[in-house]
Amino acid sequence: MQTFKIALTIVVALLLQMLLPNYVRFFQYIDLALLVTVYFSLQRAPVIGMVTGMIAGLGGDAVGGGILGVGGFSKTLIGYLVGAASVRLSLENPLARLSVVAVASAGNTVLFVGLNQMLEQTLPHVSTWAEFGATIGWKMLGDTVASIILFVVLDRVFSEQATARRMAIRKRFYE
Amino acid sequence: MSANTAQQKTPWILAALLLSQVVLMSTNARHPDSEQSVLRIWLVTAFAPIVHAADSVLSSIKGTGASYIDVRHAREENVELREKVERLTAELNKELERAAALDSLRRQLALPTHPEYGKLAANVISRDASLWFRRLTIDRGTLDGVKRDMPVATAGGIVGRVISVGPNFAMVQAITDKHAGVGAMLQTSRAMGEVRGVDNDRCELRNISSSENVEPGESIVTTGLDRIYPKGLLVGTVERVEADPNGPWHKIIVKPAAPVDRVEHLLILLVDQKDLKLGEGK
Repeated sequence: MQTFKIALTIVVALLLQMLLPNYVRFFQYIDLALLVTVYFSLQRAPVIGMVTGMIAGLGGDAVGGGILGVGGFSKTLIGYLVGAASVRLSLENPLARLSVVAVASAGNTVLFVGLNQMLEQTLPHVSTWAEFGATIGWKMLGDTVASIILFVVLDRVFSEQATARRMAIRKRFYE
Repeated sequence: MSANTAQQKTPWILAALLLSQVVLMSTNARHPDSEQSVLRIWLVTAFAPIVHAADSVLSSIKGTGASYIDVRHAREENVELREKVERLTAELNKELERAAALDSLRRQLALPTHPEYGKLAANVISRDASLWFRRLTIDRGTLDGVKRDMPVATAGGIVGRVISVGPNFAMVQAITDKHAGVGAMLQTSRAMGEVRGVDNDRCELRNISSSENVEPGESIVTTGLDRIYPKGLLVGTVERVEADPNGPWHKIIVKPAAPVDRVEHLLILLVDQKDLKLGEGK
């Protein structure tokens, strides 16, 4: 059931990624596949994080264009790193989660652009360091703002897991 | 598997997943038809009907609000459009006469005639799903006779070409995409170059000698030499020329004739690539 819910979340995220930039231009800066990856990586399960990252990343590559595997690689790595960090640190409070999203967004953009450069693919918005910095900034802002809404929705959908996670953390850090 | 064992295996799982992505990336990067991948076709084929349905619902909601505002301006717009229709009808008659005269001359000189091709209307169901690529997804695919590399246009001018096609969808690379290229020429001087996307909804006409006189507002049309776009389709107009006195080429910024960034309905030109002979460019 849990696996089915995660799969469905990825599918809905990809559908929204295809649909919403038609109506809100700024939505291009929001990467729902990354946000879903970060959310499940914060469940203190690096394996779930990286598998979700790989599937969501590949799906994002498929609907967004470009070379398949670039988004998959970057999100697999992000999923693992966030998952590993959530095991060692308490990242439960909303402010910590927002910080993780912002860092993950910046890391994902750098990885994605870097991999494309390695594969000799020219990308827009990264012609100069200033432009690249601005793109990272806008993507961080977009992803962070979108995560506020998305994480609230996902916490409702996965309320059992969220409660169990909170209990486990309370046990580990405060008892 | 205990938690400890799972933790020990995690780096190995990570390595395996990353390696599989590297293999996939390398394979796709080397493959010229990388946009036409099985995963993309399967996924977008499944998504296309859902996105299309959702897009229709959202468009109708958006349209209801816009309708009231549109009605208020309908009268003035009607007068304006009637005048425009009269003017365009007169221009069309003149152009038809020119075309007939040109065809007659081509026959007399035994030059090949321009191939005729059909057009297929399509709706845009998704656009620019990521920041990095200018892609439109349309609701026509192989079941409608769409093939890869078919040009896509509006009545105004070209929009791009089909780069990936499934049974019920096609992905179009817009001419403003950084990876897009179009064989093009200045309509007046006939100087040939190449239009490349530069993002920000603009293109650049390259390889035009700085000795060439280029005026803002001049039309740019396709040459037919790229074997994708038939000759004579409008690409856009010269927006500005950034001359480099020491450089051999002009830097010409082009405003696309078609509203690439907000197009909703377009036409797929059912061009068979073998009809686009190299002789077309002459």
